[in-house]
Amino acid sequence: MGRYARGEAAAFELLYRRHELRVWRYLQRNLKNAATADELMQEVWFAVARDASRYLPSARFTTWLFSIAHNRMIDSIRTRRRHMSLESLGHESEEVTRQLTADPGASPVAAAVARDEAAALIRAVEDLPREQREAFLLQVEGDLDVEEIARITGSSFETTKSRLRYARTKLRQMLKEYV
Amino acid sequence: MTEDLDEIYRRASALDPSRPSEAVRRKVLEHAAALAAAPPRPAANRARWRPAIFGTLAAAGLAGLLIMPRVFNPHAPTESADTSVPAEAPPAVAAPPLAGAPPLAGAPPVNSAPIQPQNAQPEAAARSRAQPNARSLVEATPRTADASRQGASRLEAAAKSGAAAENTIASVQPASPQADPSAALRQAAETGDIQKLRAILGTQVGIDAPDARGRTALMLAASRGQAESVDVLLAHGADPNAVDSDGRTPLKAALAADQPAIVAALRRAGAR
Repeated sequence: MGRYARGEAAAFELLYRRHELRVWRYLQRNLKNAATADELMQEVWFAVARDASRYLPSARFTTWLFSIAHNRMIDSIRTRRRHMSLESLGHESEEVTRQLTADPGASPVAAAVARDEAAALIRAVEDLPREQREAFLLQVEGDLDVEEIARITGSSFETTKSRLRYARTKLRQMLKEYV
Repeated sequence: MTEDLDEIYRRASALDPSRPSEAVRRKVLEHAAALAAAPPRPAANRARWRPAIFGTLAAAGLAGLLIMPRVFNPHAPTESADTSVPAEAPPAVAAPPLAGAPPLAGAPPVNSAPIQPQNAQPEAAARSRAQPNARSLVEATPRTADASRQGASRLEAAAKSGAAAENTIASVQPASPQADPSAALRQAAETGDIQKLRAILGTQVGIDAPDARGRTALMLAASRGQAESVDVLLAHGADPNAVDSDGRTPLKAALAADQPAIVAALRRAGAR
């Protein structure tokens, strides 16, 4: 970030490519809508570029990045809640699941089983309650610890820990049922 | 087990074919490159708001000190008392040199003025010593009443002309934000209210709908330095080359407002 703030555009591209997919998955799996995730993705990274000079190297870049993504997403959810039903937001999760299970490379049985399991897990993540889902995604996609997640989501440490525990318990339960 | 779950999740993510769109990547990288190429904003500009705020606060404090004695002076006549003198009121309250103006701090209150009502003075004394004063008071009283009447009629006239002016202004001003979604859009863009801006953009509002002076939401956001509003508007397809009635474009507005980040964003979006 420091290099980009000093005018080195290539440094930004490096950062973008390193974190692109994680931020996008965080947005897309929380919102269950690829178009909205794209829209927010653009806004998040525009904000990163614009505020590069304000970034403090003492804070982890991923914490800063995901806090921007979280704030944009919450704004977007609030806005969309007023304008569309949640049903329309959820249409794509089934499509993602369908794509996962219908991967053209599905020849070996083991790979097919793995894909089914993966699809089931993605679906289960998307079915988690919003706060649990977000905490879980911040942990696995942002690689953030409980304290960082609590700070970003504006929750207490204990609440965040509980959300993560519930989320993981549900996902494990789902996987057990699946197996 | 935690590691197992994370591992399964990572495997699932690797198998998930959905990806961010290439167009988004291109736009983001171009935007970032443009910002990197823009000259850094001088620190002096960023610090300008401080003296401005302190100056404003100092002026407000001074104004407060000047107004305070007038507000809290229990003897000060109110404006309404000056303009609505009842007909039965004792006519001999001497008109101060500046009738209707509240007294300055420390000035003797009107009620304790040395000139007393005519009927309160002994007749002889009034005839022998205060004849000219009494006459002047008698003469002054109708003049004060006349002045009051004239003042009232002037106030009425002013009110009428004010109402007329208001009607005229209303006829040329754009509709209020509550009534007109495009006005609300412009206001949200100008003030940087991103949540509201997104909410309005979610409706069927014309993103480039101009106000009475031909200014679009993007122009207003650019001129106010609302970089986030500019980003959101550009992401929603706002016209970066719209021209207002003074021939100004969003780019010119951003240049005039010394907003290099916005200038870069607009140029990236094709502003000329």
